[in-house]
Amino acid sequence: MITIIQITLKGIFRDRVFQGIMALAVLFLFIPSAASLSMRQVTELSITLSLSLISFILLLLAVFLGSTSLWKDMERRYTFSVLSLPVSRTSYLLGRFFGLALFLLMTSALLGTVAGLVIKVASGIYPPGRPIVWSYLLLAVIFATLKYILLVAAAMLLSTVSTSFFLPVFGTICTFLASGITQQVYEFVHSPASANTISPFLKTVATGVYYILPNLSGFDLKVNAIYSIPPSGYGLGLTLFYFISYTAMLLGGAALLFARREMK
Amino acid sequence: MNSLRFPAGLTIAGLLIYLMLIGPFTSFMKNKPLVEKLGYMPSVNVLRSLSGDQKELAGASLVMKVLMYFGGIVGKAQEGRVISEPPDLQGMSRLLHGAVKLDPYNIDAYYFAQSFLTWDARQFKVANALLDYGMKYRTWDWYLPFFAGFNSAYFLKDYAKASEYYKKAGELSGQDLHRSLAGRYMQEAGQTELAIAYLSAIEKGENNPAMKKNYQIRLYAFRELHRIELACDRFRNEQGIMPVSVAQLQQQGYLDPEPVDPYGGRFYIDSSGKVKTTSKFAFATKNK
Repeated sequence: MITIIQITLKGIFRDRVFQGIMALAVLFLFIPSAASLSMRQVTELSITLSLSLISFILLLLAVFLGSTSLWKDMERRYTFSVLSLPVSRTSYLLGRFFGLALFLLMTSALLGTVAGLVIKVASGIYPPGRPIVWSYLLLAVIFATLKYILLVAAAMLLSTVSTSFFLPVFGTICTFLASGITQQVYEFVHSPASANTISPFLKTVATGVYYILPNLSGFDLKVNAIYSIPPSGYGLGLTLFYFISYTAMLLGGAALLFARREMK
Repeated sequence: MNSLRFPAGLTIAGLLIYLMLIGPFTSFMKNKPLVEKLGYMPSVNVLRSLSGDQKELAGASLVMKVLMYFGGIVGKAQEGRVISEPPDLQGMSRLLHGAVKLDPYNIDAYYFAQSFLTWDARQFKVANALLDYGMKYRTWDWYLPFFAGFNSAYFLKDYAKASEYYKKAGELSGQDLHRSLAGRYMQEAGQTELAIAYLSAIEKGENNPAMKKNYQIRLYAFRELHRIELACDRFRNEQGIMPVSVAQLQQQGYLDPEPVDPYGGRFYIDSSGKVKTTSKFAFATKNK
């Protein structure tokens, strides 16, 4: 499995998609000047922009690498030669996943460091209203990374059942968009205001969908990092275990489907 | 060779048309009516869903949009031109209200909305409702009650409410200024001083050059007004009667040099003896 992780990492660094996406990191250079347009929250705006950029880069990487990794192997028929080696399909799949996860961690460590420098510069232009709490910033980056690792697992699950890359790519994007609003929908259908407008059946369906789809809004700690608001430790713990359990389910499902899949 | 003629011709033709068009196109975009520039604001719920995990970014970009728009108008006004079209204050307010729904902590939105909703749009209640909403989130921030206190005292003349806000601002900031504001200026007579104290405080913390200039102009106008008020008081003390006009103060040597309203208005003394200006502390617009 370690070998597959290494191969995955090497493959990503050679990938054009990766290089193109990482070119976006050049935008970090413009953050201090963009943030200085703010009236009263230059530092806060620079944190917003930095975290957003990290999040956006990780999203692109997760969607494209996560959903093309398996598909490319199958398309190029590498899977034949790999699976003829004494490697189980499950460990091949997990190796791919951990390789991608490790890669996302490395990327966010790098981008996080750059963001730290950028924020430091911006806070020199105009001191923040409240002192920056660097540990909240770190937490925000870590949880954003976990979120996209979970998304990689979702992409892999989708690519085990699909023969093209359309389903994984667009399926992952849809999952991502839906996962951000499920909490809102859930709260709306359970609010007293909706009791008259929404039928009980729809309410049950919406609740069911809420439990099935990943809920990624808990991973968003941007507000805490930007405005130095202490996050709840209990919530972080719950979110962490949510991540572990949900990713385990996705990977388990992916491995089961992948094991049964017929390779042409 | 022949096969290249067509693509080369196509490229050149395209380039020529592009060069002819780019001038008019750029000037069209530049002179587009301002309302169109501010753009359409989708429903906040849609925006919140679409922005995914980027709500803070979406909020900040709405604020930036309004700021750029308003900054452009103020810039024109400062060049001495009369604004050809009144700023779309309603649209600005809508965008900023949307911004704080996306990111209820964004101080720029409150700060900016408070500034134009009061002085320009004269929607004091809307401004204070927005500030009240912000106070629920920015529980550490003394600026919001400080603004709300000023609005209550200066515009709404609700001194009880203003004291409450100023007390809150004083508790949060630990500065005596706000505590003393709660008591000292809560009367009609101290209005100008109150405005000067308020404007100096916000001018000092302003980072954006266009907005800073905006506050400096307003502050200058109030300082001029204050100078006339002091001259009035001196006149009354020495002569025992109220002066009837600003010109009278000047002729008799109470006021030198001549006061200038940076907004292009004219200072006058109304029938109750209060000094006012025809500009009402805002740049003139043609439609008014």
